[in-house]
Amino acid sequence: MVISMESGFRSYHPYVQFCYYLFAGFLIMYFNHPIFLTSVLLLLILVNLSHDGGKALRKWILILVIMSAIIILLNPFLVSRGTTILFYFRGKQVTLEAAMYGITMALFIVNILILFISFNLILNGNRFLYIFSKFLPRTAFLIMISIRFVPLLKRRLDQISEVHLIRGMSMTTGSLKSRMKNGMLRMQILLTWSLEEAVQSADSMKARGYGLGNKTSYIPYKMKKRDWSWLITLCILFCLCIAGGTLGYGKLMIYPELGTLDFFLIDWVLFICMIMLVAFPLMIEGREKIRWKFSR
Amino acid sequence: MEIFKIKDLSFKYPDTEEKALNHLSLTIYAGEFVVICGPSGCGKSTLLRLMKKDLSPFGDTSGDILYVGKSLNDWDEKTLVEDIGFLFQDPDNQIIMEDVLQEIVFGLENIGCSNVEMRKRVAELVHTFGYEQLLDKKVSELSGGQKQILNLLSILLLKPKVLLLDEPTSQLDPIAAKDLLLILERLNTELGITIILVEHRLEELFDLADRVMMMDKGDIACNGTSREVIHAIHQQQDQRFLLYLPAVSLLYLEKSLDTSMEGIPLNVKHCKAWMSSVSSKISSNVMVSEQKAISNERPIIELKDVFYQFNKDLPMVLRDLNIQVNTGDFHAIIGGNGSGKTTLLKVCLGILKPQRGTVRIFGKKYSKKLGLELYKKIAYIPQNPLTFFVQDSIEKEMYHIAQERNIKNPELIITKRLQQLGINHLRKKHPYDCSGGEIQKAALACMLMEEPEILFIDEPTKGLDPISKQQLAKILNQLHLDGITIIMVTHDIEFAAQHATTCAMMFNGNITVEASPEKLFKGNYFYTTTMNRVTQNSDFPEVLTLEEAKALWKKEKLFSSL
Repeated sequence: MVISMESGFRSYHPYVQFCYYLFAGFLIMYFNHPIFLTSVLLLLILVNLSHDGGKALRKWILILVIMSAIIILLNPFLVSRGTTILFYFRGKQVTLEAAMYGITMALFIVNILILFISFNLILNGNRFLYIFSKFLPRTAFLIMISIRFVPLLKRRLDQISEVHLIRGMSMTTGSLKSRMKNGMLRMQILLTWSLEEAVQSADSMKARGYGLGNKTSYIPYKMKKRDWSWLITLCILFCLCIAGGTLGYGKLMIYPELGTLDFFLIDWVLFICMIMLVAFPLMIEGREKIRWKFSR
Repeated sequence: MEIFKIKDLSFKYPDTEEKALNHLSLTIYAGEFVVICGPSGCGKSTLLRLMKKDLSPFGDTSGDILYVGKSLNDWDEKTLVEDIGFLFQDPDNQIIMEDVLQEIVFGLENIGCSNVEMRKRVAELVHTFGYEQLLDKKVSELSGGQKQILNLLSILLLKPKVLLLDEPTSQLDPIAAKDLLLILERLNTELGITIILVEHRLEELFDLADRVMMMDKGDIACNGTSREVIHAIHQQQDQRFLLYLPAVSLLYLEKSLDTSMEGIPLNVKHCKAWMSSVSSKISSNVMVSEQKAISNERPIIELKDVFYQFNKDLPMVLRDLNIQVNTGDFHAIIGGNGSGKTTLLKVCLGILKPQRGTVRIFGKKYSKKLGLELYKKIAYIPQNPLTFFVQDSIEKEMYHIAQERNIKNPELIITKRLQQLGINHLRKKHPYDCSGGEIQKAALACMLMEEPEILFIDEPTKGLDPISKQQLAKILNQLHLDGITIIMVTHDIEFAAQHATTCAMMFNGNITVEASPEKLFKGNYFYTTTMNRVTQNSDFPEVLTLEEAKALWKKEKLFSSL
């Protein structure tokens, strides 16, 4: 599957994307109703599939399953709050409430993690820093430079290691003391060498006028009409959800006694709002696919 | 119009006796393409840095540098940053940002350019130089040549009037270097940007330059058009600069009867035209090549059916590669960038383990136990010899090795080695303070302490001036005569053709041809020396090097009939 940077959800302005992740993350933390969270989970998996065919998600899936299984199993045995007792385990009560709490807890954590995987795919590197640089321009610049230096230092260290290997200064054989000594020597050379090279980088910055003052920054992204309309839509949906939440809807009473799982009218409204908000990337991708089909 | 006028400029670095620049005066006119060259330490880089105010080195300056009639100190900083661009030697170290686009606009952001203006300039320039497909990439994905062009673009966006370039092609392979020079030529002829270039590799530059300046000991020794300079140097037989001259010009000056200045050929085309005008009656003798090799058929390194890839998802770097190096060979491996030369070297060294195939060295396979024993008989000079040094002086480094290896009489051996390589005067110096050629010799001296049997050397001629290159060739030849097997990876074809006994050409992860230099290079279009390009398909005997041509043509009394 070819991943294009120019189409679908990726083509939207970073602000819109950031708002989406912010809102979705907040709502996942805000609502604890299992039906809410389960639907969000399904949607987020679909969102991830739409990004890259689930490649990034696949690497995490085992960890996610094991983690949620542990939480769901352990919580009722460790916590004995709640009034509805299911059975006794070694003289300790195991309650329905604690079991339910474990499930919502697991759903919450898995949701947040999957959301973060998607975040990483969409708002990677520069897009994230772009948002950041509005508030903290100097810090963002520093981070950008550091990012560039990590692979550079790694490559230099590799070069040093190769020469040292031929010189017989190994890090894999010999006594612990000599290995440590050799390792330290490598780091020392890396440091002196990098400092030497960094002088050139500094010169290059100076030669291109760094520090003249009045630094502007190139903005590769433009807020277009569709960005604005989606941003406003997302905001409205979010406000509705929050408003409903403050009235107590979309939340499940767990302790001391499990509340009802039934939906009231406003619960339904909230549910639909939330689904729409979380499914935002899916709607964009879907619309684009349909347009392609019909335009040909 | 005079764009730069340098009046009686002297410069002395702190804590040194000698002046780096000595009462130097110079005028450069707008739109000129000026090439400055000279041996390492002649002050050419210092001069260039003094012309860019932000990069002026710290020290005692006297005299004045005028830029468009006003002293550099009287101009405001922003104008100078925009007007005078500076390109450095190392493609990697100048890059600040991670993304290509961000790097390109770095300068524009600093001078406070508006967003609209930035977009306009980027679009225009990127399109002009056909750089679009690289715009979305990460800097780490680019090749050395692409990085250097990126650096140039970033400077060009500031719309400079003068470009100062400090050995910009020294770290590039010949093809990438050629690309960069072509861009410079375009900038000069189409946009009229003044170009001042400091460089060692001059074969093509004499053809491009309007004016050539030879510097020595902080002053200008020779200044004029390419032909004037070539003529003058040849007339005086100036040993300092003779090696810098292009082979085609030297051939003409040596062999032509009427050596008029206007007739000096600067490129292959000129030279061929001259040759066809001289004579067409010469019969070509079959040359009997002298056998330089003292090789016997005892293999010292053997690679069989080697496959290597860095990562499961990446393509194979080495494919079904077979190579055998015999004891006493001087084996050169040539090939373009990314053909897998350096990877091959590392596989030979046991640094990288091939996925399939066997590597035998001295008839043994690499293993953890044997590894350290084998490495005692191997010397390796990497592309950047700085990585080699642990101590803070060359002498200390050598004592350190002597101590580690229990070598008796270290003082004696150290002095012998240093004298052999002609760097005894540097023994107390810090490795980082040495020039490229010096540091290479120092690393070689250290490696030779253990009397190795094989020497692996990666791109030894990168960034060396012609004199250091000649010295290096002498040293390598001497070591070869002493019985050390040398395996060299290089893209310097002239160097390989002159000194190696066997050459192997790598292409697409495999060794496509392996033969003596004569067989391998003769008749090629690009993978050959300038001399060969001149003499192939001509009425003259086909040769590879200038020395060969000189010797051979004399025997035939080429011009006696004229």
